[in-house]
Parts: sequence; structure tokens; C-alpha cells
Amino acid sequence: MSEERVNRYEKIDFLGEGQFATVYKARDTKTDRIVAVKKIKIGTRAEAADGINRTALREIKLLQELEHANIIGLLDVFGQKSNISLVFDFMETDLEIIIKDTNIVLTPPHIKSYVLQTLLGLEYLHAHWILHRDMKPNNLLVNEQGVLKIGDFGLAKFFGSPSRPYSHQVVTRWYRCPELLYGARYYGTGVDIWAVGCILAELLIRVPLFPGDSDLDQLSRIFQVTGTPTTEDWPEMKALPDYIQFKEYPRQPLKDIFIAASEDLLEVLESMLCLDPLRRCTAKEGLQMNYFSNKPPPSCGSQLPQPGSNKIIPKEQERQKAGIKRKQPGDQGVLAKRLLF
Amino acid sequence: MAGNFWQSSHYQQWVLDKQDLMRERQADLKVITEDEYQKVMIFFSNFIQALGEQLKVRQQVIATATIYFKRFYARNSLKCIDPWLMAPTCIFLASKVEEFGVISNSRLITTCQTVVKNKFPHAFNGDYPYRIQNVLECEFYLLEMMDCCLILYQPYRPLTQFCNDLKPENDLLPLSWRIVNDSLRTDVPLLYPPYLIAIACLHMACVIKQKDVKQWFAELSVDMDKILEISRQILALYEMWKTYDEKKEIAGILSKIPKPKLNPSRPPSTGANNQENNSQNSSASQSTQQTTKH
Repeated sequence: MSEERVNRYEKIDFLGEGQFATVYKARDTKTDRIVAVKKIKIGTRAEAADGINRTALREIKLLQELEHANIIGLLDVFGQKSNISLVFDFMETDLEIIIKDTNIVLTPPHIKSYVLQTLLGLEYLHAHWILHRDMKPNNLLVNEQGVLKIGDFGLAKFFGSPSRPYSHQVVTRWYRCPELLYGARYYGTGVDIWAVGCILAELLIRVPLFPGDSDLDQLSRIFQVTGTPTTEDWPEMKALPDYIQFKEYPRQPLKDIFIAASEDLLEVLESMLCLDPLRRCTAKEGLQMNYFSNKPPPSCGSQLPQPGSNKIIPKEQERQKAGIKRKQPGDQGVLAKRLLF
Repeated sequence: MAGNFWQSSHYQQWVLDKQDLMRERQADLKVITEDEYQKVMIFFSNFIQALGEQLKVRQQVIATATIYFKRFYARNSLKCIDPWLMAPTCIFLASKVEEFGVISNSRLITTCQTVVKNKFPHAFNGDYPYRIQNVLECEFYLLEMMDCCLILYQPYRPLTQFCNDLKPENDLLPLSWRIVNDSLRTDVPLLYPPYLIAIACLHMACVIKQKDVKQWFAELSVDMDKILEISRQILALYEMWKTYDEKKEIAGILSKIPKPKLNPSRPPSTGANNQENNSQNSSASQSTQQTTKH
């Protein structure tokens, strides 16, 4: 591919490194726009032999077809030798950083805004028959204007086409729904909705709701909150490939865990964290629930916590910067583990 | 394939205009006739089909690969990248895009060698020359030349829906399905949206089976002229097949196309080329198949 495309993007900063890619902040010299350039790693010899990386290919093929305010925009693709780079909207931060930053106070309107934007993006994806399959705070990117965009489509896939079994080894464990943990090979939009439920919970308590350290521990943590399901709660459960009977945990009312959350929010949470995927709400149904039309209205743009620095920074640097970034006047010293609403 | 066709890159960027397509093709039409150009395209569709069958990929992958091939040459001359290399590259990329999995390098190349040797000895002299590094490099050009538009819509799904709507007892699906397969050998997939192709093929099947479904067609709100255009192009293909012996003719046609260098380590040159090393341009401006038969 042509030299000009490669030279078009002027590297500004190193943003981070993942399993498959290195990300840089760059300036598009043609438009003067700040962008994120994701350079896909060639990896091992065996991977190089696969040609264009499949994860990158998924992102390219799907994002090329999508356009929505709450979905990350793929701006360009270019290659150098056998290296491929994807150019995305530049996003300042992500929900993981925001959640972990104890200097940030997340108010009910903030939380409503983030969940609303997430669901709007997800509704669009699901309406286009795409499952994201890796919804987690880290993949919900937020820019300076407070716009949240769903990113990282490396695991995303079409659903609903003549069914072929899917892998159940998707979604980061903490956000993985019970049917996946039970080995379901045919699943639907519920996998993404469950994850949004976990994310909503995490926005409230500022720590992951179900931080399991194995697949079994994950299920056990879920059931300790939802109660161990009976056949009545979830009729098809026993047919799942990896189904095992769990110890009987009693159901814990959500309002005992999220003591400060409003009724209408708990209603949303309850419906997203429904064990039976068929009874779990869809993105569309979720958006129609009272929570989103009730007061307070979601914060918009400038009212959202202002991210002050880069999205992905190496860990040590992050710790150093943690103290100075995104401090809001008046917020000093508030440790927002649990908020009073 | 799911998604929203009306907002897709396929509909918005890849339903091409006949004039544009012919303009891009002018460079090739200086060395071969329009008729011969179509024969080359048919030949490589067959090659892709043979590779796909040997590799045991699904028909979906083969159909996607065939259209990738057409898209590439819709914007490039045949001598820009050797179609013998482009064909397996299209299968390689389509297999990944359709989530069929990565075809192993050695298997891809071995399959090319076997298929060329066993099924196309009349078209290719000697051993299959390309190696995996050629395919990997070519994959980049293919992706770039298609502007990263990888998701394709095929007529099969709308066709199935239409046949159900028309009452399944008419039993039109198998025949019209085969006509759709044949349409992959024409320019039709580049020029018309898949739902129109499906309707045209269904219409042809109705005529062949002498089913009276006038009422159903009358209630469609589609441009019937387009449907007839599609039918005409497919009929022209059938007309050509009546007298065409690929085994005898294809080597002669392929030999007219200048070969690119074995290792194309440069970006493919788009559009016009200046070489006129062949005087076979008499029918370059001849209009397309108009062998209407209704």
C-alpha cells in the first residue's frame, strides 16, 4: 500500500500495548485531526502465515458497515510491508479508568448517561445482527466531549444467520453471562446485555460485581447474588453442555447490595442480570424502561467527568499520573467506593 | 449475511455503473475482445469454484471469493496482478471473512498445484508458480483495492424468502438457485443489488417451468426494466455456452494477456495502461450481450 498513506499519520504519543496490537496517538496530517492508530502485531511466524490478522479483519469488515455516535469510527486502514494499521477516532479515556479513578465522583446522572449511551450503541449493533461479545468497561471508550463509544470489535460476530455453533470462550470472565459459563454454543444478544448489567453495577459500587477467579467461581459468585436458579427460573438451563448443579444459595435482594440506587435503576439492573437469557431484557426494551425517562436526566457532554489524560498508559506511569489527572474542583478526597444517591 | 443492506458498503459503494465498469475495462479490451474478457472471468470463476471444492469450504465462501475477484478486476487490469494468483488469494481472504477459518498455507498452495495439474492442464503449462508469500502480499492489495469493504450480500437469502412467499409447492427454488449460481459468471453481481438478481433468476425459473405467477410479479414494486436487463445478461451467458468450448479456447485467450512479473512488489497500477502489444482490439467498443430471447 502506498507510502503516502503511511506517512499521513504523524505519531504523537505511545498509548498502550495489547495482546494483538500497539496503539499510538497520532495526527492526521491531511485533516489535522487527532486519531488513534492501532498497529496490529505480526506476532509469531505461525500467525504471520495467516495473512491479515483475523481479529483485525473482523474489526475492518464490521466497522466498515457501521456508523453510529456510540460506536467507534474506523477512519482508515493502511499497510506497510506485511503490517496492517487501523485508524480510529481518538478517545481520551475509557470507563475502566473512570471507574477506577477514585478522584472522580460518579453521580446518578453520570451513570445514567454512560448506560444510556452504551445501550444506544448496543441497540444499533443488535439491530444490525452483530454481537459484540466483549463488552467490558475497558472497551467502552469515552472522549473529551463525554461521548461514549463501544470499541474493540475483535470478537464481534454476526448472529442469526443459519446457525453454526459459536465459541463459548468469549467475553472477559467477570462480564460473562451464566449461559456462556455453562458452555452454551448457541446464544444471542443476551450475552452483551448481561455484561452491560455488570458494568452498570460496577459504575455504582466502583468494583467489579462478580470478580470470579475461575469459571466455576464466577458462577458461584453470580448465584450468591441471584440465588441458585431453579428450573422454574431458567427452564433450559439443564440442557446446556457444561451444566452442573450448584449449592443452593438464597437470592439476595439487589437493593441490599446497591443500597443507594434508585428503584427504577434497580429495575433495569434486575432485568439485565436475569439468569434466563430469554427473559433478560433486550437493548431496546432496556431503553424503554422508566429509569431512562425518569428524573434526573442523564448528564450531557460537559457535565460528565472530564478525562484529563491518555486512555491507555503504562501501569507505572498511570500510578504516577493518577493523583493529578481528572481532578475536579470540589471533589478532592472523596473516595467514591459507594455513593449515596 | 445479516446486517442492513441499505446502509451497507455493498449497496452504497459496490453497486457499480455499467459505463464505469466498461471504462475501467478498456485497457484489457485493447488486448482481448469483450467476449474473450467474459470467458476469462468465467474461467477464473471456475478455477475459484474448483479450489473451493477441493478445499471443502462452503459455497458461501466460494461466492464471496468470486465477487472479490470481480471487484478487484473491476478496478484493475488483468495484467496488473496475475489472476492465477488473485484467485487463491480471494479464497484465502473470503474464508477468514466468512469465519470459515484460516486455510493453512501449505494446503492452499498444494491445492492450487493439484487443481491446476488435474483440472486445468489445458489452460496452464507447467507447475503452479506462486508461493504463500505471494498470496499474503496480494491479500493486502485486494483488501486495499476493495476499500476494505468485505461484507457481501448474496441473492440466496432473498431468493429463499421470495420462493416461500410464492408458495413452496411451485418448487422454484432449486432451479432459480442454480441460475443465481450461473449469474456469478456474469457482470451482474457487480451491477445490481442481490435482491434484484434474485427476482430476475426467479422470473427466469418461472418462464422455464411455465408457472404463471404474473400476479405476484405485478405486485412487486421493483423496476422491471432492471429485472429484464439482468435476465438478458444471464441469457447471453447461456447463449455463449452453447458454442463455447473452454478446453479448446481458453489457453489461446489467456496467452494474449501480458503476464505481470512474478513478484509484484509494487502497488498495482490502477486504470489505464499504455501497452498495445496486440492488435486484437477490433471489438473493443462492441456493446454488451444483447441476445435477448424472451
